Amino acid sequence: MKIHYGTALAAVALVAVHILMRLTQGFAESLEYDSVIANYKFLPYAGMLEIILILLSVHGFNGLRVILLELKQGRTYEKAVSYGCVVAMIALIAYGSRTIIMVNTGMT
Amino acid sequence: MTNQDENKEGIGGMINPRRYGIERVAYLLMRLSGLGLLAYFIGHIYETSSILKGQVGWNEFLALTQTNEGHAILAIVIAMCVFHTVNGIRVMLGHGGVGVGKPARPDYPYIPASQNIRHKIGIYSAIILAAIAMMYGLAVMFGE
Repeated sequence: MKIHYGTALAAVALVAVHILMRLTQGFAESLEYDSVIANYKFLPYAGMLEIILILLSVHGFNGLRVILLELKQGRTYEKAVSYGCVVAMIALIAYGSRTIIMVNTGMT
Repeated sequence: MTNQDENKEGIGGMINPRRYGIERVAYLLMRLSGLGLLAYFIGHIYETSSILKGQVGWNEFLALTQTNEGHAILAIVIAMCVFHTVNGIRVMLGHGGVGVGKPARPDYPYIPASQNIRHKIGIYSAIILAAIAMMYGLAVMFGE
């Protein structure tokens, strides 16, 4: 549970910054193409997005694992759920990182 | 072993909000909001990847989400997010021994010291704050 709580607290702080970026700019304006590209090109913000991506992926898929293990137990089932969640977590981080890296480096 | 398996209620038992009071409702809402937020997060990662298709691709995908239905879904996501955060902090504090009362001899009617008014207020606060945040979100999204 330490990982679950740690990722939760860190994510709350960083997601608050992420949402404030949308609200301080004006919700609709902040979602315009040029504004979003500018966000991604700003390295500290892109780094923060990457950290949020990792934190929420770990927290989300660990939470899903806990729910699934609460429903049913068994050696094979538990291994399948744990490895399945780790694979899904890595896949989501890889897919999200691809977007961040490609936009940040101008590969769009 | 067979009898033990027969007594398991499975998903039906997990989603049953009756019995055990508001704590059970909080348990159910925590799981539902967690699953909802994970689904939204995966969708958000996919949605933002449309920026790789250039301005046209981004605007096309954004148009799909900037509808009344999209705003309503986002308002529900805001509510889930606030409830999950506030109730999560309550659970963490309880896990750390904060607000769970002092250990005492279990006497009839065996009311658990941990299920006290402080934690009940925490749960109701999470629900009220989630509703306020949802209203604020709707005001921001429909106000523009």
